[in-house]
Amino acid sequence: MRQGARRIAVWFCLAVVAELSTHAAVLAADGTPQNVAEAVAIATELAKATGTSGQAALAAQADRISGIPADWIVPCLAAFADASPAGGNWLRSSIERAVERAGDSLSADALTAVVADRKQPARVRTLAFGWLKDRNHSRADGLLDGMLDDPALDLRREAVEKQLAAVATADETAQKATHQKCLAAARDIDQIERIAAWLSEHGEKVNVALVLGFVRNWRVSDAFDNAKGVGFAKAYPPEAALPARPETGPWKAVASADKHGAIDLNAAIETKKGVLAYAVAEVVMPRGGPAEVRIGSPCAVAVWVNGKPVMAHEIYHASEAIDQYGAMAEFREGTNTVMVKCCQNEQTEPWAGDWKFQLRICDSIGSPLATQPAQEKMVE
Amino acid sequence: MITKTRRLVMMLIVMLWGVTATAADWPEFLGPRGRGAATDQAIRTRWSEADGIAWKAELPGRGASSPIVVGDLVVVTASSGARQDQLHIVAFDKASGRTVWHRRFWATGRTLAHPTSAVAAGTPASDGKRILALYSSCDLFAVDLAGRLLWQRNLAVEHPRSGNDVGMGSSPRIVDRTAVVQIDCQGDAFALGVDAATGEDRWIVPREKLASWSSPLPVTTPEYGTCVLLQGPHGLDLHRAADGKTVWSWKGDISAIPMTTESGSMLHVPADGIASVSPTAGDAKPAWRSTKLSCGIASPLAWGDSIACINRAGVLCVGDVADGRLRGQVRLAGSFWASPILAGNTIIAANKEGKTFLISTDGEPKIIAENELPGTFTATPAVADGSVYLRSETALWKVAAP
Repeated sequence: MRQGARRIAVWFCLAVVAELSTHAAVLAADGTPQNVAEAVAIATELAKATGTSGQAALAAQADRISGIPADWIVPCLAAFADASPAGGNWLRSSIERAVERAGDSLSADALTAVVADRKQPARVRTLAFGWLKDRNHSRADGLLDGMLDDPALDLRREAVEKQLAAVATADETAQKATHQKCLAAARDIDQIERIAAWLSEHGEKVNVALVLGFVRNWRVSDAFDNAKGVGFAKAYPPEAALPARPETGPWKAVASADKHGAIDLNAAIETKKGVLAYAVAEVVMPRGGPAEVRIGSPCAVAVWVNGKPVMAHEIYHASEAIDQYGAMAEFREGTNTVMVKCCQNEQTEPWAGDWKFQLRICDSIGSPLATQPAQEKMVE
Repeated sequence: MITKTRRLVMMLIVMLWGVTATAADWPEFLGPRGRGAATDQAIRTRWSEADGIAWKAELPGRGASSPIVVGDLVVVTASSGARQDQLHIVAFDKASGRTVWHRRFWATGRTLAHPTSAVAAGTPASDGKRILALYSSCDLFAVDLAGRLLWQRNLAVEHPRSGNDVGMGSSPRIVDRTAVVQIDCQGDAFALGVDAATGEDRWIVPREKLASWSSPLPVTTPEYGTCVLLQGPHGLDLHRAADGKTVWSWKGDISAIPMTTESGSMLHVPADGIASVSPTAGDAKPAWRSTKLSCGIASPLAWGDSIACINRAGVLCVGDVADGRLRGQVRLAGSFWASPILAGNTIIAANKEGKTFLISTDGEPKIIAENELPGTFTATPAVADGSVYLRSETALWKVAAP
């Protein structure tokens, strides 16, 4: 599906390039590309930038892109599709210089078409939306009306904000309806929390842990030794014979009642330092394929899915956040097993006492995918 | 012959002009060479939102980084977006506050940070030709004074376990044409020296896998030449700027946030008070220690024969830099994330709540003015041409010269 979308996007851009090439003016010989096809070729090379040497040559290429005329800008955006991290920034900084030079000669129609085309990469559409907003605020604002389900996270966020602002002075019934609609649409944690708080204040209790899709039912092992951090790299029985079989051993069933789905191991096992524990959960996925495992913990953590390692972070008490660490894993349709190893160290500071984690499984924009049996309602 | 000599001298002047920030600049964290002092500058003593402000500019995002002043530009970094992954470098016209250019980049590393810090916590650095900006995402960008990207290093891509979710706060330095960054964290910890012109590696040294928020400090000694001092929780290391070779080390339990300062060939280290040590071979014992000079978050300030610290209780203590003897103290108010700096004979101490205290250093320290601006201020102020630059979470203020 994604490949098909990319192919359509590439064909669309090539068609635009071919059309523009026929009208391309030959520019002054100051290094500026001679035609739109050359500009797209330079942008594509720039987008592949990696490595630490030869950056003077990249800067020179970026200068060439910064000099392109306004109607070549949109065709060059296709180069973002496969950009490396460095390449994305080379391309962005050079194209934004071209956008600044172009001023109002950058076509609002062309930008609107990019924003409206959901097959284009999210960050290209978001950039185009920002440029459109700078030039024609009301036109950009109008596009938000159809973006509550947009795959571009930042555009979806703005669409939610617009809906909420629009009903700020409406009657409570209309506000409730809009907040419920926005709760279903929102994917950013802070936005979800804000909407949930409003609904709760107006008599509709929101189960935030369920909205965010945290895995809340686990089986937790006994504590194992992690004095001086030795346990993080050591394979104790639960990971020595994967997948772990909590139903066969002395594992304790633990269900999180926390608003953010945290499993508190101090409460589940005992408040201890220099220890680690394993937690295993069964989750049901609606379809097979890759999905993102997102975990937050103030402790060192490692995660396995169906017995395969997914990620490991040996960081202790350096902040914690929902979705702190993420990694892609392969799931099968139906039941899957997730195992977490959560390690506590021996720091004695009062802020270093927490031994806990929270985990959810999402698509690329944070829509929760995994379920567990006997789930409650999100809004009561 | 005379013509040849004159030509050579002219060439040297031009070359030096090209590579050196001017005396009126405040080109890096804590000003020239990171010493926090502009002793040749007099500033106005009273200002408020309605009075004494040359201009105010809104910023495109959050940040705890200080403004820097380079030629006609005042440069600030910021981050924005729901995930704080949009990185900004903005250059304002020093005279008018007009935006001259604004570059935006995507973060390529982690962008979590404690609310008291920010993704744009490190102050940019300039050598007068280029500006370096380092973010908590471990992205390092070099742009020229026109805002052209010259090179970038995505250090979290190169070292995937680098970073710190509390927020990295170290600022880059340019020392003898080497750009130095200090990535102290529990994961991939290292210090890197790159060619400031090209971004290519000159050296890399591993660091202890512990978080710290200190910045490299340029130090020149007769013994070791031009060096950079790196401070970690368990000691100091002096590295030659050209090749990164460690030439001197000192062990001790050092604060993770306030950074060492230097005066009169001595290093004044925030370690259970202040320890004054000499960066010379075999000289590991501090010349003096004082627990009465104690730093909270803010770094110590040393100038002339004096040293000053703001402790956790918000008390500014001034001592004798030769022996650490306490000369006097004055109670300020509020919490201090910004470090104190010196303009002329006045200490500028800006608290988080927006109040900037001016303290006279003639005799006993004495508050001579308290000036308030709206907002949250965690960035250390800058001083150039008699103007004070204050950066709140959302705005940059230029206090007019007297």
